Amino acid sequence: MAKVTREMVEKAGINVGELVDLLVKNAAAELTTYYYYTILRANLIGLEGEGLKEIAETARIEDRNHFEALVPRIYELNGKLPENMKDFHDMSACPPASLPEDPRDVRAILTVLVEAERCAVRGYTHICNLTAGKDHRTYDLAQAILNEEIEHESWFSEFLGEGPSGHFLRRGETSPFVGKFLR
Amino acid sequence: MQEWENMTKKDFNIEELKEYNGKNGKQALVAYEGVVYDVTGSFLWHQGRHQVSHYAGEDLTGELERAPHGLEFLKRFPVAGRLKQD
Repeated sequence: MAKVTREMVEKAGINVGELVDLLVKNAAAELTTYYYYTILRANLIGLEGEGLKEIAETARIEDRNHFEALVPRIYELNGKLPENMKDFHDMSACPPASLPEDPRDVRAILTVLVEAERCAVRGYTHICNLTAGKDHRTYDLAQAILNEEIEHESWFSEFLGEGPSGHFLRRGETSPFVGKFLR
Repeated sequence: MQEWENMTKKDFNIEELKEYNGKNGKQALVAYEGVVYDVTGSFLWHQGRHQVSHYAGEDLTGELERAPHGLEFLKRFPVAGRLKQD
């Protein structure tokens, strides 16, 4: 635990216990999404699916990166992860991004993907709102993750025909915002 | 017409609502602006707790404005009745 770190956050008026719980739930969402996206990506095949595989893969890897970046902050704040993986799955801040009943329905897969990203966008917006001006490090981390989740949402949203987002797929390294927390 | 008027519903007062906290297999109900919603079985209301700071068995009127989503999510759940004002 980073004792003074936690103390400073508490003194700023944040309920650290609740914040840690939120971080753990969102870490669970990231790791479980990584798992579910592995299945979704594998099923993005055929003329329609292949074109989506690359962005699904980028989102999958970046969600795993988000998990990796969240864990140190949880421990700094004297939190911990559940020992039981099933408990971790079930406390996720977002519902499972399960493969649709018809795995050949690319639009249904896209809907699962965009809903998962929207859940994440809401979750990190909430954490940013809670920590803004109070817990600078958690805010910085949540904002970095939020930036990437917004881009993921944009990619999938465009494929669903919801209109242009102005974003383009990744060039170069993954996690351009969260990368600084992983080095 | 309120949604609950078309369904077999009951009236709850705030004390009765507290019983439906979603813990230990209990039904999970929440109220918003006089309407009681059944969130039992929702992945996001596991053990009657939602995103750390919201609890089943409570009137969430006033809390929703601070949430990163609107009433549209709550409206996806079945209506269990209405909350009586004592």
